[in-house]
Amino acid sequence: MSEAATFEEGKLGRIAVVRLRPNEDLVGAVEAACGEHGLSHAVVRSAVGSLVDAVLEAGDRVIQVPGPGIEILTLAGEVRPDAGGRPRAELRGTIADGKAQVYGGRFRRGANPICITLELVLQEWLPA
Amino acid sequence: MRRLVQPGAALQPRRLLEWAAPVSDLRVTLTGGQDLLRGLVAALAGKGVAHAAVQIVAAEIERMAYLTGAEDPSGERVATYGAPTWLEGPVTLLGANGILGPGPDGDTLLHCHAVVVDAEGRLHGGHLPPGDVLLGSGGAVALVTPLREAAFAASYDSETNYPLFQPTKLPA
Repeated sequence: MSEAATFEEGKLGRIAVVRLRPNEDLVGAVEAACGEHGLSHAVVRSAVGSLVDAVLEAGDRVIQVPGPGIEILTLAGEVRPDAGGRPRAELRGTIADGKAQVYGGRFRRGANPICITLELVLQEWLPA
Repeated sequence: MRRLVQPGAALQPRRLLEWAAPVSDLRVTLTGGQDLLRGLVAALAGKGVAHAAVQIVAAEIERMAYLTGAEDPSGERVATYGAPTWLEGPVTLLGANGILGPGPDGDTLLHCHAVVVDAEGRLHGGHLPPGDVLLGSGGAVALVTPLREAAFAASYDSETNYPLFQPTKLPA
């Protein structure tokens, strides 16, 4: 019988207070910061920042939003280890461009450079 | 991936991380008729909270402004804020993330970006200026994660030529 739901018991642990400097790739730098500090599982608790340009994925669509000064409005997601044990971030959220147009989707790895800063709070997820 | 040349030399490390200790979260309800950010900062100050990660999970807004990014015509920075966009309510907040910490002048600052929907159903979003988001009668609800041992504090960042929140160890 196939399972319609699976569970992972655990609890929230330490809190990582993170800043990414300009021109770091959003997804790649979150993964790198986690790898550098031994954080294998985490959830996003809050994030405020901006991107030079943005590339979001929504279904089969790729949404390219030119900046600079794209505001990250909301960010959600988690970090989990990949098959090789390296941290892998799945991040999604909403952004606004300089014309105040709002877009949403999943942030593409290697395509979302930080403009001025990203202030990020992650909380460790500790599987039981 | 386009990279911009910042006004100052690149600082190291490129990724900063400090560990904070988990404490109990706070669910905060604000009544209408007050400013969202100033009301939240004042309410948290009353609980002794000056460093936190914030999610605003609901807010009904009577009148508000927001700012979006633009190129800096002075060339002193790679980006700045454009003129504020004003919205008349009812405006419904859909989501917002914030960082609470001491600003460059030492006063507690809530750096907050939000996505909202206006009375005609149009989406908007940007940086919320303190003092310019008046709550309607429905008020607001926020989930606050106070930070202990480490948090954000603003200091001048020579690379970007802005005062910015930096991860900082807090005294025990």
